[in-house]
Amino acid sequence: MHLTDAFRPKYWNACMSEDFSQELLHQLALPWLTSQRPGHRFNIFTDTGDFYRIEYGDIVILNNVPYLVRHNAKEGRFGLDDEVKFWVKRAIDLKTGKTKVIKLVFYEKFLARVGGIEFECFRSPRKEARILNLVGDHANFMHGFSVPDDKGNIVRIIDLIYGKTLADHVRDTASGMDHETYFYRHFPEILENFIECVEAIRFLHEHGEKHGDVRRDHILADRDTGRCRWIDFDYNFRHRENMYGYDMFGLGNVFMYLVGRGDVLIADIKKANVSAVSQLSDEDMNIVFNNRVANLKKIYPHIPESLNRILMHFSRGANIFYDNTIQLLDDLREFRSDFFREARRNVK
Amino acid sequence: MKHDINRNILIAADESDNSKRAVQYVANLLGGVKGFKVTVLHVIREPEEDFFPAEAEKEKWYQDYGRKADLMLEEYRRMLVDAGFDSEDVSTRSTVRYCPSMAECILAERDNLEYGTLVVGRKGLTHKEEFLFGSISGKIVRTARNCTIWVVE
Repeated sequence: MHLTDAFRPKYWNACMSEDFSQELLHQLALPWLTSQRPGHRFNIFTDTGDFYRIEYGDIVILNNVPYLVRHNAKEGRFGLDDEVKFWVKRAIDLKTGKTKVIKLVFYEKFLARVGGIEFECFRSPRKEARILNLVGDHANFMHGFSVPDDKGNIVRIIDLIYGKTLADHVRDTASGMDHETYFYRHFPEILENFIECVEAIRFLHEHGEKHGDVRRDHILADRDTGRCRWIDFDYNFRHRENMYGYDMFGLGNVFMYLVGRGDVLIADIKKANVSAVSQLSDEDMNIVFNNRVANLKKIYPHIPESLNRILMHFSRGANIFYDNTIQLLDDLREFRSDFFREARRNVK
Repeated sequence: MKHDINRNILIAADESDNSKRAVQYVANLLGGVKGFKVTVLHVIREPEEDFFPAEAEKEKWYQDYGRKADLMLEEYRRMLVDAGFDSEDVSTRSTVRYCPSMAECILAERDNLEYGTLVVGRKGLTHKEEFLFGSISGKIVRTARNCTIWVVE
């Protein structure tokens, strides 16, 4: 929804004078707030430091643009469904009428724990702002820009991406389908998307940036462009020797999920009475998550050896690891060139 | 490949027990033997700018860390002198570097200072720790050229 042409000049005058009266804001917000009380006064924020106070229906003004806050973002993670992220607001840019995601400054430092290993993590608005600037309109990343509020807090204004997470896309695509059908019919396209995603991470690494939180629900399958796009770059951590090792680990997990059309968990395959379970050894498991199978060929024998070799780099039995995305991309492309021919032959 | 042998030894150390063992090893092996010069190097990894919400915190971190590093290096210097090195043959150096890879930073220091032998401690990482975060000693062993590496466990 966009402002009417008749109203736009008045809006621009307001922008020039930095004077957003309650009356003007009411007119701007009218299309989205149809049931306002008479005499309702907007709470207006130009300092976003205390993000808990900014609620539905409030106005945040950044760089002379008023944003109407709609609601806080939610995220399901670590089994906590719909955890509210109070520092992330969905809002309407009242200048353009477009929906934006506004990420306010939330510094936190914490010890993350992955597979029993602790490491120091922190959230950094500066990092995310820098990466937004770096990626520009790159097709495989979310887009946006940063703007300081009146107190210098670095606020990120991000374009909303319409679409499912890659994980949900795979789950829905493969629903009710046996693995072999999924593998030959749908995996080639998913592989293409994944290779693009790895290329995008390579782009970050080549510019000295880590994504910081590579996981499958941080890739959105954009409904409009059909491309997969990385989101959420504000995580960072104190790295040790390999600055990009944790990103590589994340890529391995995502890839394992895509190949297996979901996590292949020991408990599930035992429950399903899959005969191959007796052939699995410790070395066949994910190097960090001991309940996930990495050696998927033992579960799905139609998986080509060249693909399984890639997966085994992320297994407990691995003797060598991928140091960087270039090595992973080389192997993925080599596999792809053979696989596409085979997939065409095997599509039922 | 043949390369010049010199008797300059560089020990790359931090505050870990494995670094202390590396210093102690050199002290025990060469203490009292004439002709060797030892430098204990501590590379301070420049924290990424994102790590500190404000400049003041960054300054404080550098001050605190710098003091800690000085004390640590003095302790290592003392260990070597107590073992029989002449004090003029033992030096210490700390340097702040931007280090995407600590191993590469240490090797760059070695190249600049022309040490024939580089000594590092090994932390004994688990397989998955090495996978997630990399191993400094492992990378040094894999990538060092024109010098000898001692890895002390």
